[in-house]
Amino acid sequence: MMAVELGYYGLFVALLAAAWATIASVLAAASRERGLQGSAERSLVVSFAFIVVAAVCLEVGFLSNDFRLDYVFHYSSVSQPIPYKIGALWGGQSGSLLLWVMILGAMSVIVLWTNRRKNRALMPGITAVLGVVVTFFLVLLNFVESPFTLGPPRSDGVGLNPQLKNYWMMIHPPCLYLGYVGFTVPFAFAISALANRRTGDIWFRTTRRWTLFSWFFLGTGILMGSYWAYIELGWGGYWAWDPVENASLMPWLTATAFLHSVMIQEKKGMLKVWNVLLVILTFSLSIFGTFLTRSGIISSVHAFATSDIGPAFGLFLGIVFFGSLALVILRLPDLKTEARFESLVSRESSFLFNNLVLVGIAATVLFLTTFPMLSELATGRKVTMGPPIFNLVNIPWALFLLLLTGIGPLIAWRKATASSLRRNFLLPCATGFWVLLAVFFLAPRAYLAGVADLVRTMASLDVAAAFDRLKIFYPALTFALGAFVLGTVALEFHRGIRARRVQHGESFPLALGLLVWRNKRRYGGYIVHVGIVLIFFGIAGSAAYQKEVVHELSPGEVLEVDGYQLRYDGYRLEAIDDHLGAVTEVSLFQDGRRVAALEAEQRFHPNMVFPELRDAFLRARTLSREDPRTYQDAVARLYALIEHLERGAGREVKTPSTEVAIHASMSPLAPTRFGEDFYLTPLWVDPGSGRANFRVFVNPMVNFIWIGAFVLVLGAHLAVLPDARERKRLAVTLALEERAVA
Amino acid sequence: MRDRAGILVLLALSLAPFTLGPGDDAFQREYDLAARMILCDCGCSPQSVHDCACGRAAEMRTEIASAIRGGKTGTEVVDGYVARHGEKIRICPTASGFNLLAWLGPGVALLVGAAASVLVLRRWKHTSAKRDEVSRAAPLAADDPYVLRVQEHLKEYE
Repeated sequence: MMAVELGYYGLFVALLAAAWATIASVLAAASRERGLQGSAERSLVVSFAFIVVAAVCLEVGFLSNDFRLDYVFHYSSVSQPIPYKIGALWGGQSGSLLLWVMILGAMSVIVLWTNRRKNRALMPGITAVLGVVVTFFLVLLNFVESPFTLGPPRSDGVGLNPQLKNYWMMIHPPCLYLGYVGFTVPFAFAISALANRRTGDIWFRTTRRWTLFSWFFLGTGILMGSYWAYIELGWGGYWAWDPVENASLMPWLTATAFLHSVMIQEKKGMLKVWNVLLVILTFSLSIFGTFLTRSGIISSVHAFATSDIGPAFGLFLGIVFFGSLALVILRLPDLKTEARFESLVSRESSFLFNNLVLVGIAATVLFLTTFPMLSELATGRKVTMGPPIFNLVNIPWALFLLLLTGIGPLIAWRKATASSLRRNFLLPCATGFWVLLAVFFLAPRAYLAGVADLVRTMASLDVAAAFDRLKIFYPALTFALGAFVLGTVALEFHRGIRARRVQHGESFPLALGLLVWRNKRRYGGYIVHVGIVLIFFGIAGSAAYQKEVVHELSPGEVLEVDGYQLRYDGYRLEAIDDHLGAVTEVSLFQDGRRVAALEAEQRFHPNMVFPELRDAFLRARTLSREDPRTYQDAVARLYALIEHLERGAGREVKTPSTEVAIHASMSPLAPTRFGEDFYLTPLWVDPGSGRANFRVFVNPMVNFIWIGAFVLVLGAHLAVLPDARERKRLAVTLALEERAVA
Repeated sequence: MRDRAGILVLLALSLAPFTLGPGDDAFQREYDLAARMILCDCGCSPQSVHDCACGRAAEMRTEIASAIRGGKTGTEVVDGYVARHGEKIRICPTASGFNLLAWLGPGVALLVGAAASVLVLRRWKHTSAKRDEVSRAAPLAADDPYVLRVQEHLKEYE
């Protein structure tokens, strides 16, 4: 009881402290009173401390099975494994909000600490913005969606959604939140810079690492979510264009645009308005993502976390977005470009087009995600926006972006001459061309037929069919453009290494190491590009060449799928943790050689609210160490009991889930299969006979996505590492701006 | 036990479309067309009946297979679903009427955006050229932000 009260009042004290931090910092900004600003900063720290107290109290509730707490009752159960009890904090609405505000509180404290001796003129504005956001979330947690609401005493809880009981799902939301929340910091700096008419370089140079950090975590969170979907949902894919997936992709795209366009402002003092707008857009889209997840205005697989806080988020989003826009308009005279623009064929314009496409894809995703609402408003008809339209409409944009990824790093600043274009692009273009030709000659007839088919369809003015006919060309174009980008990156590395070897007489590994280490940001960026290309390869290969078979097998039977032989060896029934299930044991052969032993499982999570079922399940679970036959019989009886209860209740008393089995071909000795997954899901298993219905996918190149993700992480880490030259540059900028203001 | 047998029969039926011989190409084509176009109404993320891994999708696959075995084409099956459940049962909207905005809008926006960008860049180029002429006549002041920025960059290379 003590923990519940402490948590409840802790949140209230945190709210008071955050509200005071906001008021005091606004007063400090108006009066330039240092004492008030100090008070504001200390209050924000106090607010964070009490948020942590509340989060710890809620975790105590989970770990001590305090089911009087409604939140604990809904997202935990006695039998829930401890890691999932801890992770259940973000399994639902109010806990997610608490995690969000706790991360924001921590980041606010870091911002206050790292800027305790610098950027003092900007700090009141920054503290005010951070304070407003923290206060908003704490108002929700105190008055709309409290995690400390008490209900009647209960002996057990409903438990976490079974699909969330997965290692990746435990780290995916915090990772995403680090990304979403992190964008608050550059946003706060930008708003403060605008409010204080200090629109120079300081705000974006100081927050460069914050932006990269948030971009990295949001991207990693998205990839983790994709991996979770791939290994958990059993449909062989990793991206379903679910509204909430889209909501995380949009700010990532605009942040990517910002990371590129800010280089133009840094080097040339251009695109100042655009950069401020991108930061505002990125932060607003982060809030929009939460609005979409929580409001339930659009149906989503993430519906497990919906509630009625949508209007509050909508209002907050409106104030943030339009208020910030008004401030930008007010400060337009301060945001004039400094440099001159010389040529359309230059890195500046290539970056501008890169921004156009990135923001264009984000806008397309936003438009298509919200199109059902628009359609209902305009025509009164509801429509569904499933994966096909997102894929068909977005792929051409994505391919154009891939092309620009190759052009950007090699094209000259200011003005590219014909000879520099030839020197820089001849080899990469040749690489792309040869790859295109090679892919074409793998299936020339199919491509020629595809062209004829496309022309026919376009002549018939069937738009959807024309988009569909284009699909056949996408893999070839992706591989060719990807090869072009890899060619540009290889050329950049080659030139850099050669220059170092000529100038300093260094060995190849030393020249490579020093080249990257002394230009971490630049070469880190190139490595990120390589990661992105690999991800594109993975998506193209797995989407275009996926094979699928659904087949029923009895133990002992064999199934042939795309060069693999699957032998269903047998099955066993289990009742462990909080579920019962049938584990199918399968041997996988290739060319008569056994390459893997796989276990795929079909699970049922019994609803523990039925005492009869709960007792039978717990009894069966205790038999796991007894005679195997007795144990199997006990689990089989559970299946029968569930059927019986469902007949009586007229509804499901279990939640099904699957554990897929995956065999990845990662041997370089079989290059044509490299990166391929053999993916197995049991759709249904008869507990008596073991006869099972298997869904099998062969996903070529899918592992390129995860390898690409790893490369991307490596590159991003390199780019974010501290750099002495950059620190020096920041110090110079600070001094220059202070001089200019004085 | 009878219930279990019932479930097995239902499942066997749901497997029918996936266990066909090579002579059933026409069936498979029509079945694929319908199963990939109809939305699984299980309420999760928008997935077609073909892709969704849930129990409801299995039931719907059985319905579609039976309808096609009964002599309907894939398009007729989709039309039947649309008549019963409305347009939202399609995995994505048809490319006609207001929906054309969804299909063509982004592409048109890209072209318009690209054209606008080219125009903006040309204007910048023109303005820069003009400014150059002016600056040639009157050199920049020593405390001009651009000069300070250039000095800062030059210092890095010293």
